[in-house]
Amino acid sequence: MKKILIVDDVKMNRVMIEEMLEDSYEIEQADGGMAAIMILKARYEEFGCVLLDLVMPGVDGFTVLEVMQKQKWIEKVPVIVISGENSKDTENRSLDLGASDFIRKPFDESTVRRRVRNIVDLYDYRRKMDMKVEKQEEALHDQYELLLKQSKRIQQNNEKIIEILGTVVEYRDLESGEHIQRVKGFTEILANEAMKEYPEYGLTPEQIRQIVAASSLHDVGKITIPDSILLKPGKLTKEEFDYMKSHTTRGSELLQQISGAWDDAFGDVCYDICRHHHEKYDGRGYPDGLKGEEIPLSAQIVSIADAYDALVSERVYKSAYTPQEAFHMIISGECGVFSPKLLECFRNTRKKFEALAAKQSEEEPDD
Amino acid sequence: MTVKECYAQMGADYEEVLGRLGSEALVKRFTLKFLNDRSFSELEQGMQDGDAENAFRGAHTLKGVCSNLGFKALYEVSAALTEKLRGREIAGSEDLYAQVKASYQKHIEAIQQLAQEA
Repeated sequence: MKKILIVDDVKMNRVMIEEMLEDSYEIEQADGGMAAIMILKARYEEFGCVLLDLVMPGVDGFTVLEVMQKQKWIEKVPVIVISGENSKDTENRSLDLGASDFIRKPFDESTVRRRVRNIVDLYDYRRKMDMKVEKQEEALHDQYELLLKQSKRIQQNNEKIIEILGTVVEYRDLESGEHIQRVKGFTEILANEAMKEYPEYGLTPEQIRQIVAASSLHDVGKITIPDSILLKPGKLTKEEFDYMKSHTTRGSELLQQISGAWDDAFGDVCYDICRHHHEKYDGRGYPDGLKGEEIPLSAQIVSIADAYDALVSERVYKSAYTPQEAFHMIISGECGVFSPKLLECFRNTRKKFEALAAKQSEEEPDD
Repeated sequence: MTVKECYAQMGADYEEVLGRLGSEALVKRFTLKFLNDRSFSELEQGMQDGDAENAFRGAHTLKGVCSNLGFKALYEVSAALTEKLRGREIAGSEDLYAQVKASYQKHIEAIQQLAQEA
């Protein structure tokens, strides 16, 4: 049975209302505003409705309403004001303070019963609906979480496939696919440093994740270079070298053809890296001779990572430099001009680069 | 003595209260409870002590209770007294108080008869 709290300083009034309602509800009484607040504070959720007298000595009915509103009890427990004053002002003030309805003195038994029943039922219904909505929200939230998980998995699969694609290409001209892994690692170190040191780049963790994943594809265009050039041990002729350089344009064209496989933003990052990772900051790189910040940031980052890895690795046409040598060659501009800001990041993270290079060479024993 | 006769003796409006409360039994139960109502004692105490605040409050409560019970005659005089005391000034309210007291005693006598026969 629902509980009703009757708040009135006059016992006769409390008793009369109690007699009118006791068949249908469990009744509690409070002989003043303070007593009512104490009861509600302890266990307002037990009550289906409060019947509240306005004019009481000490804490009056308006104050009780104010407290109930402030504490948000009134959202759960409706208040019917018992009013002896038949003025509109009193009525409006009570309604402003959140009262649901009015019962005027002298009491009319059937009016009291019906008003109370209406309000109690209405709030009861609302409570049930709230609970239902809450449950549905929970279910929606669970589904959202599941979708998020699935979308993350798809993303991871995508990146894995991209990595495999890059690795397949690498296998043609290198003894292993480790180059891809190292370039990813160097790219990540540089990009994180750039995000930290240069907020003007506006890099986000999500963008970095994309750049790192897309770096696997920087040399995908090499798939189109014939073995006679790609695997030639000696020095390339000018024509051969020009053909070799076309791996950037051929790679980016290849990516354009399959760009429907991933979302646009990621496709753009892949394209930029693939086409522009041999551009130089002074405009003397290829294929487009872009200069300075015309070169997409993603390609600028990957180009340092790629150059550094090429230096510390053994290639068919050269032996490996030490990390110290490689560091100085990049900084001094021996391998072409890079962005001063990114070189600053490179300097700051020298230790991390060297640790990663050392770790990788351990895994690659010389034969 | 029926409740109706009791109301007639007090100068109260039985038809009105029956319309509001629905049954004779309920009217009777509430009427009998009036014997225990303390609002007149509060008014009396306030008048004796010269405490206008208590006197006003007692009169105001008595007015409300009479309105609920349909005690028309006592309601009218206590309402008049309430207005007189609203300014929290006892002087000048003595006549009205005497009328309230007389009417109150008449009500109590009638209700006591009703109680004895119940």
